[in-house]
Amino acid sequence: MSKSIWSKITDVDRRVLYWVMFIALAIPFISPLGMPVPVTEMTKAVYDKVESLGPKNIALFSIAGGVSAWPEIAPSMVAVMRHLVKKEVKIVVWGFFTDQDITVDMITSNVPELKTKYKYGEDWVYMGYLAGGETAVAALASDVHSVFKADKYGTPVEKLPLIQRVKSAKDIDLVLTVDTGSYILYYVRHWNVGKGTPVAEIGIAMQADMVVYYPANLVGLMIGVRGGAEYEKLIGRLGDGTVRMDAINISHLLFIIAIALANVGYVATRRKK
Amino acid sequence: MFEYFFAVKEIAALSSTVQKWAIIISTFALGLGIITTFRIHIAHVKRKSKGQWFFSAWLMGFFVLLTLIGLWDTKFVVYDWTFKNVYVALATTLYAITGFYIFTAAYRAFRARNIEATILIVSGVLILLRNAPIGEAIWRGFPILGEWVLMKGQVGGMRTLTFVAAAGLVVFGIRTLLGMERGYYGGE
Repeated sequence: MSKSIWSKITDVDRRVLYWVMFIALAIPFISPLGMPVPVTEMTKAVYDKVESLGPKNIALFSIAGGVSAWPEIAPSMVAVMRHLVKKEVKIVVWGFFTDQDITVDMITSNVPELKTKYKYGEDWVYMGYLAGGETAVAALASDVHSVFKADKYGTPVEKLPLIQRVKSAKDIDLVLTVDTGSYILYYVRHWNVGKGTPVAEIGIAMQADMVVYYPANLVGLMIGVRGGAEYEKLIGRLGDGTVRMDAINISHLLFIIAIALANVGYVATRRKK
Repeated sequence: MFEYFFAVKEIAALSSTVQKWAIIISTFALGLGIITTFRIHIAHVKRKSKGQWFFSAWLMGFFVLLTLIGLWDTKFVVYDWTFKNVYVALATTLYAITGFYIFTAAYRAFRARNIEATILIVSGVLILLRNAPIGEAIWRGFPILGEWVLMKGQVGGMRTLTFVAAAGLVVFGIRTLLGMERGYYGGE
């Protein structure tokens, strides 16, 4: 007995779906959609907080996401760093992922002012990798110098004027945690609730559920590629985030069409039975 | 925990020391991870496990090669090149491929079999239309509805879940400290 059209629709081979997705994602490369990206309240809140900072303030840029998440969070990282540099905010960088050195390299090559305008050790400093998860975040909140004895390149903390000013969470004016997991929770628990330091999130789309801590414990959230695209719009310098929004538009629309089609097929075949 | 809730100097100092121990132990855990990885994969190679031994050998070979390059290449030119041109490409590709899997999974699993599943699908679609500006281009109401699902529906549920889980964790912790919870070491 030959299958009905609806049965065929519900049982489409996955390889066909892969090809549909692949071809659909290629469309914006040939003909960019360039749809405007409205700015959400949560991204604007991060922007406003950074905008309120100046040369006397210190921001912590904590990397708790791997290289694999670049497609989603790299535009946000670059855009926020550009904004911090523009405002001449002092920046302390550290992280909890073993491949974070490459991320720092990527940021410094996209924000060359960190090498030209900023003086290493005085205006920004990279403290390197730290194991220990939540315990490490808690320890840093209480006493940075007892945890880090030197920066990534082996320079003792005594010779780094910027880190001399940062003894605990209370010396940081804003934490920007780049996150693909649960480090945001550690910062909320130990830095925000524990010490009262403002915390903002740069996360993958999956972390939209962290909105439960907004606005009480989080200054704001930048979620996924869209967060980056919105921030690029706010700082007036469009980049990869804006370009990647085309892929987001196409893929999301395709998801909805696929779900709708599969469900129409499902209902039709169920009725027949 | 005491240090978290009460500002006692002596306890803070003790807590700081314990935290430092934990960081040091975690760092050692990385080394332990390497040993465990090698033990597992050496066993696979020795046994010539079908469909596995070759990958195990490849993993260990590449591990040793990168370690040697790191030790030899003090300016990290080759090491950096390997990471930027092999690791970054592979890691980001792997992450991007999940999009394809999610697409087919959504196509097969998101079926309105009952009222709960229908609510889940509708909420998911609204969030998709909120996240992508194309949703607003289709109808201006989509982002508003999506925002409502995210900020009201999701937040309420997640906050309740967080509180309940936290309360459960506290009870579990107290029971463990009192020796009433022994399941984790094989007791009842």
